[in-house]
Amino acid sequence: MKVLDRSITAWQTGIILFILLFANKILILPSLLYEDAKLEAFLVPIFLFVLELGLIFLFYRIKTKYPSERFSDILKNHYGKFVTYSLYVLILVFFFCKALLLYNVTYIFFRNMIYKDSGNILFLFCFLPVVNHLAIIGLRVIGRTAQLFFPVIIFISLFCICIGFFGINSSPLLYQASINDVFRSCLKHISAFGDSIFLFIFMDKIKIQKGQWKIVFSFAGIAMLFVVTITTVFILSYTYTSFMHPFAIFEIMSYVKEFGGLGRIDIISMVLIIILTYFQLALYLKGFMESFHVIFSKIDNIYSVLTFNIVFVLAVNYVVLNLSKGVIYGETILPYFSIISFVFIPALVVVMLLKKRRKERKK
Amino acid sequence: MKVENKIKSLTKKLHNSIDVANRVIKKNGVDVGFIYLKSITDNLIFSQAIFEPVSNFDGQINFEILEQIVKANDVSKVEEKEIIDKILKGSVVVMLSNSEEFLAIDILNYNTRAPSEPPTSPVIMGPREGFTEDLKTNMTLIRRRFYSDQLVFKEATVGDTTKTQVVIAYLDGIADEKIVKEIKKKISKIKIDGVVDSYYLLSLLASRPNSVLKQVGCAEKPDIIAAKMLEGRVAIIVDNSPIVLTIPFVFLEDLQNSNDYYINYIYSTFIRFIRLMGIFISVLGPGAYIALQLFHYNILPIKYLITIADTTQQVPFTPFIEILFILLLFQILYEVSLRLPSYLGLATSIVGALILGDTGVKAGLISPPTVIVVAIAKIALYTVPEQSAQVNIFQFVFLVLGAAVGLLGLIGGCIYLLAYANSIENYGAPYLAPFSPFILSDNKDGLFKVPLSEMTERPKSFENENKERMDESSR
Repeated sequence: MKVLDRSITAWQTGIILFILLFANKILILPSLLYEDAKLEAFLVPIFLFVLELGLIFLFYRIKTKYPSERFSDILKNHYGKFVTYSLYVLILVFFFCKALLLYNVTYIFFRNMIYKDSGNILFLFCFLPVVNHLAIIGLRVIGRTAQLFFPVIIFISLFCICIGFFGINSSPLLYQASINDVFRSCLKHISAFGDSIFLFIFMDKIKIQKGQWKIVFSFAGIAMLFVVTITTVFILSYTYTSFMHPFAIFEIMSYVKEFGGLGRIDIISMVLIIILTYFQLALYLKGFMESFHVIFSKIDNIYSVLTFNIVFVLAVNYVVLNLSKGVIYGETILPYFSIISFVFIPALVVVMLLKKRRKERKK
Repeated sequence: MKVENKIKSLTKKLHNSIDVANRVIKKNGVDVGFIYLKSITDNLIFSQAIFEPVSNFDGQINFEILEQIVKANDVSKVEEKEIIDKILKGSVVVMLSNSEEFLAIDILNYNTRAPSEPPTSPVIMGPREGFTEDLKTNMTLIRRRFYSDQLVFKEATVGDTTKTQVVIAYLDGIADEKIVKEIKKKISKIKIDGVVDSYYLLSLLASRPNSVLKQVGCAEKPDIIAAKMLEGRVAIIVDNSPIVLTIPFVFLEDLQNSNDYYINYIYSTFIRFIRLMGIFISVLGPGAYIALQLFHYNILPIKYLITIADTTQQVPFTPFIEILFILLLFQILYEVSLRLPSYLGLATSIVGALILGDTGVKAGLISPPTVIVVAIAKIALYTVPEQSAQVNIFQFVFLVLGAAVGLLGLIGGCIYLLAYANSIENYGAPYLAPFSPFILSDNKDGLFKVPLSEMTERPKSFENENKERMDESSR
């Protein structure tokens, strides 16, 4: 089976980046951030987004130096096969673990809120066919479909934020946590960030013309603004009980239980969570597939999807499906994987760029 | 070979069919033979323009003289192997005993209906002409809109048995040459026993023949076809069909309507939103209602919830079976009303709407909210009648998704469906363009409609030779 991964435009890249940066940070992250960083929790996404923007900047640099080359090929030329394959194995595990955590959190959320008696099989039945379809059908189709849903995502996010303002019942009183607490929280939750490495592994499929980079950076900026605002609104709404309310965007909406004659409007936030989860899982699977393809280049792409599905179903059934377990796993094991996105890849890219620069100067 | 023998041989080749007519006359020692099909030729023209001049001729007749004396425009020399084909296409073939050559004179004539307003596309304002089953009339209707040498008609024959004439019409210098070539290639590759109507070509010309989504545009009105050709599309006219096909096709085309161009642009934008909303309501309405009832009932305001609980508690079926039953009932009634004569159609409506609906509710077999939801969904379906077949299928799919997994299934289904639609490219045109990929200039006549003076460019969703439509000075 052939996977049609054709190029995506700057707008589509921006929207995909927005989903990657925004989706997994609006559900349980704000509540977890409060545990260490208290009212200063909003600083954590700001600091970590600075790192993320650094990663995107490095992507911009390498993309302009090597406009149509594959990241794996550039790595192979500079560092050899061993380093490339090792890095891609790590990336593969990184995307798989992130998919697992995201699914776990979404599953717990929906089981608690709607599908009280339903088993995991129902959720797998919902997510896997759609996610597989999106991943197999190609990056361009994901980009185009995300483009269709983007206005809905933005509209609902803004609506949630606006509604959230009605729920704020305390004026911000800062200096509850020390800078150490904030940085500890940053380290603990760094694994929620670093998804921009997705851009690196698909850099040959991304077509950005001169002058269009601002689109990509703007989308990253908007994602940051939204995450910081939602975190702030959530913490200011619940303040001292923030840690007891694990699902931020939903809690913001459910604070305003009946809004006029509309009934419970928290379902709107559920729509947002569902859309984002579908897309983000598809993007993680796509990242997994591409890494798999680099490591096992002679094996048909469909086997990467099969591998993902089998391992995913096994892992979901035997390893996780418990919120506290998932949180522990996200706070203890996953941060180590962030070394890939925030240390390994930046270091390798910086060295490559410096080498290239030196070569150009010599010429 | 003698003329009589030639005619006998040709009649035999035509299986001695009862509509084969022939005549042999002697003129100054030369036998003149005529053979034609009386079912598709004009007998009056034959006798006045062909038979009479020949029989009244006094001199020694030969082939050159024969060509001169017949009073017809479409006269051509044909070889022996082409004779049968010419006869079958409405020519009378004339042969002489002193010549081995044959003369074919086109006198094709059969009864056709006059162009009238098509029942599928009535308009409030604008032209009311519609295509007919006659290929020549249809070509005339298009030609009348382009007194220009840019309009090109190319002929092809499809169907081993029917040998149906198919005409590819496009505007030279506007339609993309590659698309025209691709269509010609596809049509030439079609090996089928017969093409009875243009609908036979629908899936054969589609990029994904097995897809549930419509991929070729259809119209019954020449003004619509002319407008689409001006955008760079290629029209395909099939003999004996009043439906003309257009390629490339994008979903947006079905949201547009010729009425939109005769009304205020703000109102037409509003109407287009209504049509899109109609599709959404129709596809998602029953599924969303059942999802609300089964999974998300707590989001309904308490008063609505009580109303629904009150009305549904006596219904013996599960909500899914109840809504499925009403949807199927509607579908049956729809099929019946389509096929029954109009005087019986009224009776069906009364039985369907009043007796079945009202009595069903009173008997407690179905609940009023369900009837209302299905009615709204079914009415909304016809805001875009061109998409009704697909929307009907998706209505059932989303009903099952909503009943099985609620919101999660409905949104998953939407993403799946839209991703699938996004993966289709018809002759280089993305199916959901100009929404995704987003093309700003094409959106001037997309969901939003701007005044005609602002539409200065041809669509960019697909390739065409000339992007400029209107000079800046004319604005």
